[in-house]
Amino acid sequence: MDFIYTEEQRMLADSLRRLVDQAWTFPQRRARQAAGTLDRQAWNALAELGVLGLTISQDHGGFGEVPASLLPVHVELGRGLVSEPVIPSAVMGAALADGCGEAARGRWLPAIASGEAIVSVAWQEPGRRYAADPQDCRAAQTAEGWRLDGAKHLVWHGAAADAWFVSARGGDGQTVLLAVPADAAGVRVTDTPTLDGARCARLDFDAVTLSAEALLAEGEAADAALAQALQWGTAALCAHAAGAMDRLLEITVEYLKTRKQFGQPLATFQALQHRLAEMLVAKELALSMAYVAVAALTESDAAQRRRMIASAKLEAARAGRLVAQLAVQLHGGMGMTDELEVGDYFKRLTVVDQLMGDTAEQLAVLEELA
Amino acid sequence: MNLTWTPEERQFREAVRAFAAEKLPEDIRAKVLRHQRLERDDYVRWHNILADQGWGAPNWPVEHGGTGWNALQRLIFEVECFKAGAPRLLPFGLSMIGPVLMKYGSAEQKARLLPRMIRVEDWWCQGYSEPGSGSDLASLKTRAVRDGDDYVVNGQKTWTTLAQYADWMFCLVRTDPDARAQRGISMLLLDMRSPGVTVRPIRTLDGGHDVNEVWLEDVRVPVANLVGEENQGWTYAKYLLGHERTGIAGLGHCHRELGILKDMAARAQSRGRPLLQDSRMRDRISRIEVDIMALEMLLLRVAASNDGTPGPEASVLKIRGSEIQQDLAMLQMEVAGPDAWPYDPDWLVAGNDFHGPGPEMAAAAGAGYADMRKTSIYGGTTEVQKGIIARLVLGV
Repeated sequence: MDFIYTEEQRMLADSLRRLVDQAWTFPQRRARQAAGTLDRQAWNALAELGVLGLTISQDHGGFGEVPASLLPVHVELGRGLVSEPVIPSAVMGAALADGCGEAARGRWLPAIASGEAIVSVAWQEPGRRYAADPQDCRAAQTAEGWRLDGAKHLVWHGAAADAWFVSARGGDGQTVLLAVPADAAGVRVTDTPTLDGARCARLDFDAVTLSAEALLAEGEAADAALAQALQWGTAALCAHAAGAMDRLLEITVEYLKTRKQFGQPLATFQALQHRLAEMLVAKELALSMAYVAVAALTESDAAQRRRMIASAKLEAARAGRLVAQLAVQLHGGMGMTDELEVGDYFKRLTVVDQLMGDTAEQLAVLEELA
Repeated sequence: MNLTWTPEERQFREAVRAFAAEKLPEDIRAKVLRHQRLERDDYVRWHNILADQGWGAPNWPVEHGGTGWNALQRLIFEVECFKAGAPRLLPFGLSMIGPVLMKYGSAEQKARLLPRMIRVEDWWCQGYSEPGSGSDLASLKTRAVRDGDDYVVNGQKTWTTLAQYADWMFCLVRTDPDARAQRGISMLLLDMRSPGVTVRPIRTLDGGHDVNEVWLEDVRVPVANLVGEENQGWTYAKYLLGHERTGIAGLGHCHRELGILKDMAARAQSRGRPLLQDSRMRDRISRIEVDIMALEMLLLRVAASNDGTPGPEASVLKIRGSEIQQDLAMLQMEVAGPDAWPYDPDWLVAGNDFHGPGPEMAAAAGAGYADMRKTSIYGGTTEVQKGIIARLVLGV
């Protein structure tokens, strides 16, 4: 075992930190959030640095880095609270396409790596929480290709996407994965802001007609590709959360050193110092479990892989909630205002639990694996 | 970055596992896994079995008779031995005074004392805490006054673990009463058979006798048994405490106790099925498994990044390790349920007939729960560790 970043990882993390410090400041983030649409310049900057093609093979226009490279990159993105669709497109979309055969890889991976195409995996259905098996969204094979009916929701950055990778139930009850272009006729997109300053969309499909080439995978291959996308996305999210905790702790320490009450900096009060120490302990554990999460991506034992991912997600949610709550508490009344970035970190760390399987869901997975 | 075990690391784990399965005596294994009390001979036998294999000093360099293992190997060794039901290695010589003597001891001290630690030919104990000096160790009052070629030591030490078996004590004493607290402290190596040494047991919550009071009255210690320089003892003490902190993350202990917990929960019946299958209990076990996984990965990160040299991040390990050990004991007591109420100390002595109600493990659960409250107190309390983190890691 060896936890030291490789030279490439170190350089990428350093460059990314510089970029994020310069282009994802608090006012810049708030401005993009208010605009509600994707900032292409910011997106291209991430693409140019190699963030989007990080783990995509060189044959497909990426950098071919190992899955563990997700950690240094997404820790930095989390520190900067980067809300652009890196995880939905470059991590989950790429992981899904990668599991779908050479045609899908050739069609999608180069475009995802360059940032030209933004994709998002549409896997959740209204009223079915985190169920990954499609039910009410249906795909029927036609003479020309496919017909898609039904709804998907909580599609991460769905309105910014150029295409969605949609899971649907085929005629034989098996999962079908279809690539649906955003301009397909018969799709209604309802774009909604999220608690943490990102966007999600509900997609209603009404007799959407797709060519035969829209098929990415079906049956067991489709289930496996979708599971892979969720595992990669969860691993990246765990690293993102650990990065956000890291930065939020720095912000809180800085605030306590500056803010004075009773004639002295808050940082001199032992009760508050101990809360800071508890935040650090939580952050270190969350970072450790982010390592577990990215290590899971190359784990060959499927059950162990699921166990590692579920465990890491539980820890990211638990530690994230603790660090976020303590940060607000230690900022006192100021922590409750919308004027500081503390609130933004609080909300991002809070919704980590909501994404890709919450605590109850992960505990159910662990029970199933026990 | 390589987040998987290398083939060499896997082979090493297998080798340790096979060794422990073959060589750990069954009576010792049974005591450990049943939470029965260990005696002097149990520890000494296991140390000698390891020494026969060349593994008597896992954390020492080869030149001093150690294995020369790196921090990852040491961690693998610890976990596998604990899982097998081996006693913990006595830390007093190997992990505490041994490394201090290697770094600061005289050539004569190294030659005379280090080799005898490996087979526990000398049993060491730690003379640090005093009745008036717990967390505030630097306020210690035991005095050592130079008289010819000896120091004459007077004072009282407490919480001295397993001093009832000890041949030697490494002891912090005040040699300069006028200097600022940390400055006037020296470290002496004190023969426990010297006239004036009195050891008295302290009974703890679990009814056990692991710790002692040690009274020192006009005890003569030859100047040759001073470690390093006079009045520099605080430096050596701090060096030693750093070593102690990583060890008491207790990862091996956690793995072993988790196994015992699951075994207990599989055998306990509740509402017509094993308690292990109850979702409420299952979730709690899952969560503590996640806690242990996170502790392990954190330990690996520390071990691999600077080859285990403990910095202030050791405090994070100490805090979490303590809490998890306590949570495990608490869960074991909950699984034992009603059977954790009756308690007869004799049940914890191997060879005595077990005559309590309920499953065998339940007999020790209450005592174990009570005893584990110590983990967040010894080796620097959780509150002291949080202070260290705030000061040395966060800079507040």
